[in-house]
Amino acid sequence: MEKQHHIQLVPGDTGETVFLPGDVSRAKVIAEHFDSYDKVASNRQYNTFTGMYKGVKVSTTSTGIGGAAAAIAMEELIKVGAKNLIRIGTGGMMQTWLPRPGILVITGAVRGDGTTREYFPPEFPAVADFFVVENMLKSAQELGIEVHTGYEWSHDAFYAGSVFSNLDILEIEKPWIDAGVLIASQEASTIFTIATARKVRGGVILCSAGCHQYPDKMATPEEMVTAISNATKIGLETAVKLHEMDHGR
Amino acid sequence: MNKEAVHRQHHIDLLPGETAPTVLVPGDPGRVALFAEMMDDAKKIAQKREYVTYTGTKDGVPISCTSSGIGPSPTAIGVEELIRVGAKNIIRMGTCGSLQPHMKAGDIIIATAAVRGERCTEEFISIDYPAIADYRIVRASIDACERLGLAYHLGIVRTHDAFYLESPWAFGDYKTRLQKWVDLGVLAVENESATMFVIASMQGVRAGTILLSSDPIFGESENDPKLEEHKRDLVRVGIETAKVLHEMGMDKE
Repeated sequence: MEKQHHIQLVPGDTGETVFLPGDVSRAKVIAEHFDSYDKVASNRQYNTFTGMYKGVKVSTTSTGIGGAAAAIAMEELIKVGAKNLIRIGTGGMMQTWLPRPGILVITGAVRGDGTTREYFPPEFPAVADFFVVENMLKSAQELGIEVHTGYEWSHDAFYAGSVFSNLDILEIEKPWIDAGVLIASQEASTIFTIATARKVRGGVILCSAGCHQYPDKMATPEEMVTAISNATKIGLETAVKLHEMDHGR
Repeated sequence: MNKEAVHRQHHIDLLPGETAPTVLVPGDPGRVALFAEMMDDAKKIAQKREYVTYTGTKDGVPISCTSSGIGPSPTAIGVEELIRVGAKNIIRMGTCGSLQPHMKAGDIIIATAAVRGERCTEEFISIDYPAIADYRIVRASIDACERLGLAYHLGIVRTHDAFYLESPWAFGDYKTRLQKWVDLGVLAVENESATMFVIASMQGVRAGTILLSSDPIFGESENDPKLEEHKRDLVRVGIETAKVLHEMGMDKE
């Protein structure tokens, strides 16, 4: 097989579990949590590192921002053999009761994006893989890391609350806040629906410095580094558990 | 005015506290009697329109069963009112048409999410919002099947409104119309799960669905000679799921 057009990978270049940060530089941050790693490709915003963690081959590929870019990474990674696609990202929380910083295991997503509308009828659910959710929660508990579960509002326009829309971000978010949706971000709906349709596992774990209601009460950058590191640890233990589920110890 | 009457829910005819935290919800009011028969003790608490409620215990665990009637409209009413009287785990226990060619009549399906092919919940919230089963109820349903030694399928189902729209009398070929859902891996079609999932999750209570395939739409047999036996299996799974949730501590909050 020729190298995939965007991610520049061939079968065998990745483990079955691939972590998907949005931030291009975070791919290396995640890889530094592996027992060993090598850079296997770098093209556009897609940086891929592959290595080993507790004897399991794992990878991380940055997707860049948004559903459009994440969908390309998903499609091409699945073609080269990825089975468990787990986003480790950031977002802005929408519920005031959440801790700051917060680590959230996403169970489903509001399909407020454009990419998945091109793929699927609007009534098709964006749901996280049950076993990814369950193993993330088990891993968090074993590591003693506090996590919360709930939905992401996935949408396209980061600056939706800008002067051009004449709306405050909290007005745009009101229906989702009222429905109990935890966090605003951009990729979960794409990851979940494409994973479901392609019959692989999709998962999302997000870190957030704070909620949109209290812009002046944000976690510090240092606290966020720890939160992202903790989310990565949860992701890695999840990869080990999924490997045991599929291939035995 | 009678104070009790003020708080008695309009359709399900129940007062707060008259149900257990876990309520099993068949579509068929007749199946509530089967539930009652399989409990250690169960009393009829209310019967109004298509809503029949029994509450009782099995192996010391309190469990209720309230029928929803067929379709999203009465299900939305039933779920809304059950939440108002204190239900915390609302579990549909119904029949469906299975979609995948390898599935057969009598198969049990545990839903992880539902396609929102119905229109009722669009009156509540935009179609962008997902209809998802609570993962703890999914886990309890899996454990229940495994304890009872029953095989199950785990995945997405499609909820829609018109039972006979996909019949041979409706426009076009229904199998052609269903094919896109088959291709997306959807396991079954039925009429209530999406409604239940959307309303429950918006209000912070847990919902789930356990289904019995009574009609394998793309399978070989159209009739299940063991349908009555399989319906008993379905209710056994429902009751066992409630017991697992009790063990998980999920009927306390």
